[in-house]
Amino acid sequence: MLKIATTRNHERMSTQDLLLMIESAVRDGETDFDISASGQHNIGGAVWNLEGKTLKFHITNAGQRVGSMCLPNTEIIVEGSTSADVGWLNAGGIITVKGDAGDTAGHCSSGGKIYIGGRAGTRTGSLMKHDPLYEEPELWILKNVGSFSFEFMGGGRAVICGVDCENFSSVTGERPCVGMVSGVVYVRGQISDFPEDILCLELDSDDISFLKGGMNHFLNAIEKSELIAELSDWKEWKKLRPLTFEEKKPPIVHNIADFRKKDWIKGGIFHNVATDDFIVLNTVNRGLYRLRVPSWDNEKFSAPCQFMCPTGIPTQKRLNLLRQGKIDEALKLILKYTPFPSSICGTLCPNPCMEGCTRGKIDESIQIGALGLESARVEVEPPKILTGKRVGIIGGGVAGLSAAWQLVLMGHSVTVFDDAAQIGGKLAQVIPHSRISPELIKSEVNRVEKLGVTFKSNCKVDFEMFKAICEEFDAVLVATGGNKARYFNWEGAEKLIHGIEFLKSINRGEEVQIGKNIVVIGGGNSGMDVATSAYEQGAEKVIVVDVMKPAAFEKEIRRLKNFGGEIIYPFMTKKITDEGIFSDDGRFIAADMVIVSIGEAPVLNFLPEVKKFRDWLVTDDKKMILPKVFAAGDVIKPGRLTDAIGDARITAIAIDKYLRGEKISLPAKKIRVPDENLSKKYFEKCHHCDLPDPMHEHLRCVSCGTCRDCKMCLNSCPEKAISRIEHDDGSWEYISDENKCIGCGICAGVCPCGVWNLSDNPEEIHMYRTYTAS
Amino acid sequence: METIRVQDISANDLPWKIEYNAERCTMCGSCVASCTFKAIKVDVQRKSMTFSQENQPEPVHIQKSIPVIKQIAEINNACRGCGMCERVCPNNAIRAVRNPDNRRNLLFNRPIKRGGRTNLNAQRTLDKIIVGRISQMTDPSLDAQRHTFDIRSPLGRILSPKELPFAISDGKLVANKKIPPVRWIYPLIFSDMSIGALSTRAWEAVALAAAYLNEKCGLPVRMSSGEGGMPVPLMESEYLKYFIIQIASGHFGWNRIIKSMPKMKVDPAGILIKIGQGAKPGDGGLLQAEKVAPHVQAIRGVPKATLSSPPNHQGLYSIEESVQKMHLSLNAAFGFRIPVAIKCAASSTSVSVYNNLLRDPYKICGGFFIDGIQGGTGAANEISLDHTGHPIVSKIRDCYLAAVEQGSQGQIPLYGGGGIGLTGNAAADAFKMICLGANGVFCGKILIQLLGCVGNEQGRCNACNTGKCPTGICTQNPRLVKRLDVDRGAQRIVDYVLAFDAEFRKLMAPIGNSSLPVGRSDALVSTDKAIAEKLGIQYVC
Repeated sequence: MLKIATTRNHERMSTQDLLLMIESAVRDGETDFDISASGQHNIGGAVWNLEGKTLKFHITNAGQRVGSMCLPNTEIIVEGSTSADVGWLNAGGIITVKGDAGDTAGHCSSGGKIYIGGRAGTRTGSLMKHDPLYEEPELWILKNVGSFSFEFMGGGRAVICGVDCENFSSVTGERPCVGMVSGVVYVRGQISDFPEDILCLELDSDDISFLKGGMNHFLNAIEKSELIAELSDWKEWKKLRPLTFEEKKPPIVHNIADFRKKDWIKGGIFHNVATDDFIVLNTVNRGLYRLRVPSWDNEKFSAPCQFMCPTGIPTQKRLNLLRQGKIDEALKLILKYTPFPSSICGTLCPNPCMEGCTRGKIDESIQIGALGLESARVEVEPPKILTGKRVGIIGGGVAGLSAAWQLVLMGHSVTVFDDAAQIGGKLAQVIPHSRISPELIKSEVNRVEKLGVTFKSNCKVDFEMFKAICEEFDAVLVATGGNKARYFNWEGAEKLIHGIEFLKSINRGEEVQIGKNIVVIGGGNSGMDVATSAYEQGAEKVIVVDVMKPAAFEKEIRRLKNFGGEIIYPFMTKKITDEGIFSDDGRFIAADMVIVSIGEAPVLNFLPEVKKFRDWLVTDDKKMILPKVFAAGDVIKPGRLTDAIGDARITAIAIDKYLRGEKISLPAKKIRVPDENLSKKYFEKCHHCDLPDPMHEHLRCVSCGTCRDCKMCLNSCPEKAISRIEHDDGSWEYISDENKCIGCGICAGVCPCGVWNLSDNPEEIHMYRTYTAS
Repeated sequence: METIRVQDISANDLPWKIEYNAERCTMCGSCVASCTFKAIKVDVQRKSMTFSQENQPEPVHIQKSIPVIKQIAEINNACRGCGMCERVCPNNAIRAVRNPDNRRNLLFNRPIKRGGRTNLNAQRTLDKIIVGRISQMTDPSLDAQRHTFDIRSPLGRILSPKELPFAISDGKLVANKKIPPVRWIYPLIFSDMSIGALSTRAWEAVALAAAYLNEKCGLPVRMSSGEGGMPVPLMESEYLKYFIIQIASGHFGWNRIIKSMPKMKVDPAGILIKIGQGAKPGDGGLLQAEKVAPHVQAIRGVPKATLSSPPNHQGLYSIEESVQKMHLSLNAAFGFRIPVAIKCAASSTSVSVYNNLLRDPYKICGGFFIDGIQGGTGAANEISLDHTGHPIVSKIRDCYLAAVEQGSQGQIPLYGGGGIGLTGNAAADAFKMICLGANGVFCGKILIQLLGCVGNEQGRCNACNTGKCPTGICTQNPRLVKRLDVDRGAQRIVDYVLAFDAEFRKLMAPIGNSSLPVGRSDALVSTDKAIAEKLGIQYVC
């Protein structure tokens, strides 16, 4: 037995000196120590006898970490109380503290036994572990422990006997066993709280046998064996142990859907103003929830050719009929719009239809004019149902005959009055035969007559006769055109030859006196007619003057140039003399004949007082100028032949409605198909030399705005939502099934004709309202 | 021949270009059917080729016309980059790509209005600040998982100890005057996004998340209503206690709020007087007519029209008046039982406002909410979003230090917002703001981002004002609203806030604070000298 007193003459031995002394003594074979310490640390730890004998320490007044890193075969008895970290990292020693222990008693111990005969401080037992190769560590405490004890405990057994704890609300202090993953803490007495992952259980037989087996040793060690009975009422005991890894519950899964259904305001917080089923839609939907819907808008829009044509002839339909092999129907279709498909469409018309033609943006316009010629000899069936109404038309020109044609087709009886010997107006009387053969005109005029129109030629209508016509007929149309040459009050204007008369007399076959050098005032198409006719009648030089760039078509100007004619502009006529013509800036052109051709005004002396604008009639919104009297063509406004046909057609519709006693409303013009709706990319540019003959132009026609039945949509629809329905009359339609369609717009995108269109889904979803649902 | 006019708008003028791979496309139509902006359409593309495959030139010609997806080159249909096409495409054939050479700002022939957050001022002070005082030696750290933390902020006027109206009566301490109401709440407030700005489902999802966090997770998170009123069924429910009701310059929805008062089972969590917002200081709220659906008309009490709230509360002409009139009226409305706070856009004069509120002798201002330039909006003029406003960080600091100087810090709780969570981690932002002096933070944009909003500060989507929100969050179009899953949206918010809470502890624990480190600027350091100097924290490098 080595007795060590650590103070001598008020000199205290340092921890280092004490521990070195102990170590040296142990090496020399000493096994028994009686140490009167003065707060030195780490006494009793990490020393061993080389022969494996038990080392015994009896210590008073120990400092911190008594028995730290204690090895097996070490027994330490501490008299009285001690401070922190008793048995820190105890690896097998038996450490007895007869009084209280400080904080962190048994901290990280993983072997041996620690007996505390009083209380233990905070964080007692924290991080105790059990190395599976060795026995588990034990920590016995007679009374209680401080807060945060057994933190992060990973093994071993702790026993808190709860003696002398009546004034404590918890023998385990506050928040014991935080982070504890294994081991067990036996407790006798109050436990205030413990974490959720710790179980507080009754003892089982193994627990009891452990406690029974250990309690005597413990009590004997701390010299309290008299308590054995008090502490052996196992019903007073509980044990704390953590959930094992396997037992641990998975982390709480927060289920908001469940909360909304069970606890949340029924129907949602907007149920008073919104109807919501809380069903969640995908981004792609069918039916009602599609963002957009397609529509098959066949013939809703007009093709550019149709739109540009004043008469609105739907050439795309003619070509569709040709495409279907319905040649007869194709050639007849145009006759619903005009009686002059060959003489005007095919010959004289500048064909504005072709200017707008979509195909023209790809390569060349469809040869629409030439197609008109194909209808020259086509006959039309007279109407089967007659109305018995009679219409008198004054003027047998293009407007009058076009209106007559339409009205007869509508079942009315029509009589055309004209002062000329030959019906046909300017078409027959004025336009030079070099531009159009009289036979062609005659055949088309005859077709009008053959359909049932009565012609009264050589019949000049005067005021009285007009009155008589008005009385006799159910409706009257004034379509006398422009017949009086217009010119300004230039000096010498009386010397002017009037172009219209000049041309009329040529067409009548009269001998026309013609000068050598001619000046024609007016560079429009009629001016060109006059100038070229002058050459044909023997003039040597013809000069056309105009105040601005001539308005005549390129073709007509070329005809003049081919004769050697010349055009001078700007030329403001000032005076006409026998020698020629002067401009206001002093230029002079020698001429022995000056012909004026700057337009014609109507002659209206047979009419009573009517509304006019300058020389022309003004119709109301029903195309009427007087009760039952309508007006159409150049008598209202000078225009092209095609304008006269278009105006006549609309007027005929107005007259028809009038005769049937219906409200007169003029047909609204269709909207031109938006160019971007058309898919021109299908059509490859064709070389000029590869142009087909007009009867095969359907091979090139885009069929703007009118379904060409190509089935691109049918075959492209990703949802197979489109079907084609054929009707009994051979017509067809395409239908998109809303229960299949997703509103992607592929149909609209691939439609070459712009017939399929995509728009925002118009069907309203009544999700929101302003009122509270009852 | 294909040609263009040079001044025609083309796709390369637009902020986003559609990158499309015809080879991969199956023409399923999903992208076009999904696009809410009508930015793409189906078109036909022609492939035309003359080639020779003989030993001598023998031209063979082929032409193919194939359907493709094409971007619509129109300003009104400009792609917003929301990416729905890319998400829905089964074959990775299409996506929107940011176009850095766009001419958007030159081609819009009117002032641009949009939602989102500032696209210009996205640089972040908070990212230059780090929690730099972590030393287990000097300040023992706590265990974030296992220790308890007191993460609560006051909402309401805190009296200084000497102002507490206590007296001793019969040997007991009693209050002999009314003490201003204070609620201890979670320091993260779901900030004001109105009914109208958000869809019914989006608003409900946020509300649901707030309620769930309170009821099931023990986090007293509060949600502010925004200025579009409150749903009546919510006001008549027990959940009202989790909601702060806002009153803004338009006073929208207050008729129904007042009418609901007799039916309220509980008091709301507070009242927030909105004076301004950081995204567009000087402007009132703006709700485009596209979004004023019948229920919005009902809740707000207005017809379908573009609703522009006035820039100021009509009738308030000074700070004093705002305190005297608005605070008083709204305190009175609920019997002086609930805190009334005020929210202003951050400004170079915010400290004056705060001082003024602190000096209020009636002690009826229960919180000062300052909203910085990086705040979001459902609709604002882009010029306001990008060129007006004030950063929040130094402003919170200035106000806090001004209060410290008078010894009155903490008496009117400071809440900072505007870009909280901008880079995704709201916990870090909140922690730094609190260390600088805030009592808490408020955030909005991140909530809708959690719901599914794809918008960002680089000009993506930002179409909150158009009613065409592809995610059903900022729209009242039923076809789009129904895209939003309320439960999943709320779930994301709940999960995020739980993560926020855990991460917030991970910042509190290492600095050793178990209660909110309000004003603990010593915990922060900055790698930017100017920021360090301005905020009075350590510069480190």
